[in-house]
This record gives sequence, C-alpha cells and structure tokens, in this order.
Amino acid sequence: MKPSCPQADVIDRSGTVEAMAAKEPPTVLIVDDDPVARLAMAGRIKKLGYRVREAGDGLSGLALLRRERPELTILDWMMPDLDGPSFCEEVRKDSSIGSSQILMMTSNDHPEHIAEGLARGADDFLSKAASRQEIIARVQAGIRTAKLIRQLEQVTEELRNKQALLDRELQAAARYVESLLPVPGMILPGVDLDHLYRPSLALGGDLYNVVRCGDDSVGLYLLDASGHGVSSALRSAALATFLREDSLLRYVGSRDPGAIVTEANRLFPLTERGDYFTILVARLDLRDERLLYATAGHSGACIHRRSGAVEWFTPPSLPLGFDPSHRYRTVEMPFRPGDRLYVLSDGLYEVPNSRGELWGKERLALALQGTAGRPLKEVLSVAVEEAARWSGQDCFPDDVAVMGIELKE
Amino acid sequence: MSMQARERSMPNGIILELTGDLTYANREQFKTAVESVRQRGFRHLVLDMSNVRFIDSSGLGLLALVAQQFKLTQGRLSLLKPQAYVREIMALANIPSLIPMYENEQDAVTSSAKAA
Repeated sequence: MKPSCPQADVIDRSGTVEAMAAKEPPTVLIVDDDPVARLAMAGRIKKLGYRVREAGDGLSGLALLRRERPELTILDWMMPDLDGPSFCEEVRKDSSIGSSQILMMTSNDHPEHIAEGLARGADDFLSKAASRQEIIARVQAGIRTAKLIRQLEQVTEELRNKQALLDRELQAAARYVESLLPVPGMILPGVDLDHLYRPSLALGGDLYNVVRCGDDSVGLYLLDASGHGVSSALRSAALATFLREDSLLRYVGSRDPGAIVTEANRLFPLTERGDYFTILVARLDLRDERLLYATAGHSGACIHRRSGAVEWFTPPSLPLGFDPSHRYRTVEMPFRPGDRLYVLSDGLYEVPNSRGELWGKERLALALQGTAGRPLKEVLSVAVEEAARWSGQDCFPDDVAVMGIELKE
Repeated sequence: MSMQARERSMPNGIILELTGDLTYANREQFKTAVESVRQRGFRHLVLDMSNVRFIDSSGLGLLALVAQQFKLTQGRLSLLKPQAYVREIMALANIPSLIPMYENEQDAVTSSAKAA
C-alpha cells in the first residue's frame, strides 16, 4: 500500500493549472506578412487585455504557435511560402496543437472562398473590412471556444491518468491473484498437475490450488465468487486464506472435505448484496486409490477414467452461505492409476454460442475423450480452444479456470 | 432486459409478479420491491416467476438472501411457476431444498396460510 493518496496528486495538479490560467491573460498570436495591418490588429487586441505575439510569415507563426500555445491565432490568408489555409492544414495534422482556434482574415468574402478556408481547417473568418465591434466579438468568441476546449482536454487528461492508475492497480492485484495459483508439474511422485486460467476481466473471482499433504495425499480446491471484478477477487482471496493448510488445521481440525466446506459455509455467509461462493474441495488419497470430495454448488468436476469413461461429480448442493446450518457431506470415488481428474469453473462449459446455446458438459466430455493419450497440458488447451470456438469469441464472458491432475500408471 | 415487479394481495401476504430477468443488473429493482413488502410487515411472500425468462448466479444469491431474511422474522418465501430454464438453473444450485416451489397459485397461497 502506498502511503499517499494517488488521487490527491491528480487533483492538486489540476488545481495548479487552473490557478495559473486564472492569473495569465489569454494569448493571441497574429500571423500576417503586412507589418502595418499586423501592428494595427496587435494594438486592438492588446486593448482588450490579451497578451499578443506576432509573426511576419507562416513558418515562424507555426513555430510560435507550437512554443506559446496561444488561445487564439489570427491568420492572414495571403502570405508567401506558407499561406493561411496551408498553415491551418499543418496545425490540424499535428495532434499536439490540433485543437488550436484559428480566425482567418481575408479581403475576399466570397462564399466558396470561405468554404475552402473552413474545409482546410480555419474555425472562423474575419473580413479585412470588418468593423471594430465585429473584430472584438469574433476574437472573444474564439477565446471562449478555446477555453472550453482546454477544459475538455484537461478533464480528458485527468480521466486518462486516473484510468491508467486504476489499470496499474488492477494489474498488480491480478499478479497477486496469479501468485496464489499452484505451480504446474509433479506434486508427488506419480501425480502430475497442470492448469489454465483466463480471467474475464483483469482480475478474476475464480481461484484454485493444489497442495501436497504428507507423502500419500493431495488436497485441492476450486472456488468461484459470484459477481466479477475487484470485490469478487477480494472475497476469493479471503476464502483462499481460510483454505490454507495451517488455517484448516486450526479452524477445522480435519482434512475431511465435508468438514472443511461445512466450516467455510459457517464463516462465509451471503453478503448483504447476495454475493456468495461455489466451491469444490477434494482430497486425493494415494494409498487407498480414492478421491474424497465435497462441493457447495460447484458441479464442474469429472474423472476421465483410464477406460475412457467420463464421470461427473454429483450435483446438486447448496452454494456457500445459502443455508448457514447446512452440513456438507464427503463423497468418495475410486481414483486409480491412469485416471485423470479435471476441476473446472462453470465459465468453461456454460459458454453460449451466437444462438445462446450453451456448450455444456456433454460436449466438454466428448472433447476430453478425444484427447486420450495426450499430455495434460495439451488437453487443457484443447478444452479451452473448443469452448472458445463454440462461443465464436476470443474473450470468455466469465472467468475460466481449469485444472487437471493425473495419476501416472 | 430490465425487470418489473407488480404486487397482488393474497390472504396473509403478497404475491410479487416478476417480469424480465432476475440478474445482477436488476438486483436493485428486485431488492427494492422485496424490501417494500418486508417493511410493511407482510410475513409471506410468493414470487410469481412465470414471466422470468432468465436468472444468473447473482439472482440465485438474491433468492437465498430473501429466503434467509424472511426466515429470520418467522416469515416465509415461496416460488410460483418458474419457467423450465430458470427451474433448471435453480435446481443446479439446489434452491428447491431451500425455498418451496409451487405449480399453482392456490397451493402456494394455502401453504403460506398453513405456515402462518
């Protein structure tokens, strides 16, 4: 956690900019190759209380505009080298000065002529024969517009900075969440793990882990917080902390999945917004070649048998927090060498195609069966690719997490 | 899609006819409608689900939350005629073990009267 509030920094800076703007009068740049006309215009503008900068040709005018960023530029049409319309085109091409206000002067007020000037980038026109009142009114209108545009640019810049700050914070949080995920590879001799994680936003509400418990047992869980984003991720991290080995021994005093889920149900009630978790907790017992599990509203787990059959874990069961007095029971399944366990978030199979039809567990099972004999890592990629192909999009609408564990023969 | 809630009275309670989707996006409308029934001291609420096309995980959480709130004050929540898809989603989260579900209004109303 940073000691200072980052938002305060942004507000301070914007305050300073405004304070400076209030002190200094707006700047008007006059670009005209006729020194007499330029001088006369400069005199009038100064009388209005504005700061005046002058240039005798288009190129030096452009340089001054870049350096001084005047609120308004009064520009002569006819000039050698760089004429008025070409000057405007140069300004509009350059995003750092593109929003400058330009008032073009001309002695030719034919409508086609004016249309050409506007099309090439002028904001307004001033006839060389214009009255004093009209000049004053057009200059003030230009300054007014310039101020509005500057405010808009400043607010946009502040928003962009704040968004960038939020993005950085989210990315840091996402890196933390990813650091909680297990390391793929061998957990115990003969037990391999792989997994794949694709949060729908930068920060996901799905978390899972696999830990070795002694020499002949592996504990694992997958949890899914309802909702998305920051609050889901924070709640998930809290539940993941409860599910750590040391905490379980202290609060549950047992490695029994049913006891663990029952205690989690007591400790994590529904939030006042109705948010909750679904979770699957399992323990792989290598000595007795069995898998013990308990689930709270999470039905995304199956065993792909060595024989080729896919067996889903039995739903349904209440999600955590739905009934504080509920006791979750432990279910036992055989788990033998050559079998593979897949635990996945519902985001993987509850993915709709363009007609709203869900991919579903049956299609997922078929995809798994089609991968017999291939390494775990490839199987997980295939499952996610097939789901993505079904949805027709690269980006899943929900978090996707899938973990595979194989008992080697 | 948004959600509308319309009240009808019944002996000892209120029937809330929901129309639209019971989802995260509509949670405030749903909570406001239910809270208004609770505030007036009604002990029995029947949610008529026949015009609810879709429910998401947040919607399930809201149903569980309302069931808990009514239970806390010795009240009762019932569900009436959910559509097939909504029923399937609710079954996956085992909602029927938590909230009684009825196929006709008379059953829902009399069950509530009995509970009272």
